[in-house]
Amino acid sequence: MTLTHLNANGEARMVDVADKPESRREAKATGAIHMHPATLQRLVEGQMPKGDVLATARIAAIQGAKRTHELIPLCHALPLSKVEVDFALDDARSCVHVTAQCRLNGRTGVEMEALTAVSVACLTLYDMCKAVDKDMVIDSIQLEQKSGGASGNYYRTTPIVTGQGGSGEVSLGTLSSAGEPCVRVKCLAELRERLGVGEINVPFQRMASTDIGGLKAALKDMDSRFAGLDEGRTLCAVNQVMAGDATPLTADDEVAFFPPVTGG
Amino acid sequence: MIRVQSQPFEVGEEQRLLLDGRRDIGAVVSFTGLVRDFNERPDVQGLSLEHYPGMTESSLAGIVAEAEQRWPLQAVNVVHRVGHLQLGDPIVLVMIASQHRRAAFDACDFIMDYLKTRAPFWKKEHTASGDYWVAERHTDLQAARRWEAS
Repeated sequence: MTLTHLNANGEARMVDVADKPESRREAKATGAIHMHPATLQRLVEGQMPKGDVLATARIAAIQGAKRTHELIPLCHALPLSKVEVDFALDDARSCVHVTAQCRLNGRTGVEMEALTAVSVACLTLYDMCKAVDKDMVIDSIQLEQKSGGASGNYYRTTPIVTGQGGSGEVSLGTLSSAGEPCVRVKCLAELRERLGVGEINVPFQRMASTDIGGLKAALKDMDSRFAGLDEGRTLCAVNQVMAGDATPLTADDEVAFFPPVTGG
Repeated sequence: MIRVQSQPFEVGEEQRLLLDGRRDIGAVVSFTGLVRDFNERPDVQGLSLEHYPGMTESSLAGIVAEAEQRWPLQAVNVVHRVGHLQLGDPIVLVMIASQHRRAAFDACDFIMDYLKTRAPFWKKEHTASGDYWVAERHTDLQAARRWEAS
């Protein structure tokens, strides 16, 4: 592995791309800015002192992408053919997710442009909202995928494996104290993303009955998001065997809730 | 043999390994599922497959065991990929060896029908207009139900 931004003496240099073939280059980056629920609410209702927050952040992100070469020393100036910026407001996690996609037909990749667009969008969101909330946190700015060029395609491989933190997973953590009997609950796939909950431990003492029905009631009692368990068809497994509402539970059982399967 | 893996597989190589040293097999039937560029939306660019480690493997083993009870099979190979897949990538392989073709055809059909409706895998499709989780299909459930009647 060599770093093309260093010359033989280890000094920084701009890579000469004149002889590289042109190809279609795309990159997608994401990031998030977390804020107080009240701040997000004001943002949704358009009650920020500086005006339309998202429209401003979108324009800022596009401008940022176009000016990446002015900020990052060894970046080339690129005639981007597309910069697309999307915002997703997430009530459950009280944050705004930012996604930026850049494209061009050219000789160098557009990852830095996509990452810059996300960064500038987040900074602009901060600026637009800081009058009402200075605790906001910007995080998870990352490249999701890129295509084209000699280094080939890249996809961030969020290990899509249950229990290892899938995309957008939020763990409510261990609510029970050590040693207290509880069941370990996992939400998988679409259900995990819809509820915003990956894993949670539920103490037995919170359950009126020690079965799946009792567990569901306890979950809804602990967190209103679990009302979503009743939306659509939700399946359930206890210790990795399919189960129903009447299936009894014992300490340390692993319970998984998930949507109908769609493999093959 | 049952494998859940992120790496691609090669059908020819799988068949070579399955038949290696065997002289008793009279028929091999295989099904390969691929990532196609349209589904619920017309512009699918790729997909991500999530599974439930442990339960996925035991569920596939149960489906294969049921096929082996129903038909005289000499070898069964099920490979299913997880993680990010691109257009044209192989997703799933079901390869059956038997003495006569009918058992292999039927068992292959049966295993795919049960795999699609019982094995814990979930597809998320990536399109130009955003990502979405694939919904279950009524036709898949109907197809699986055929085997209960007979």
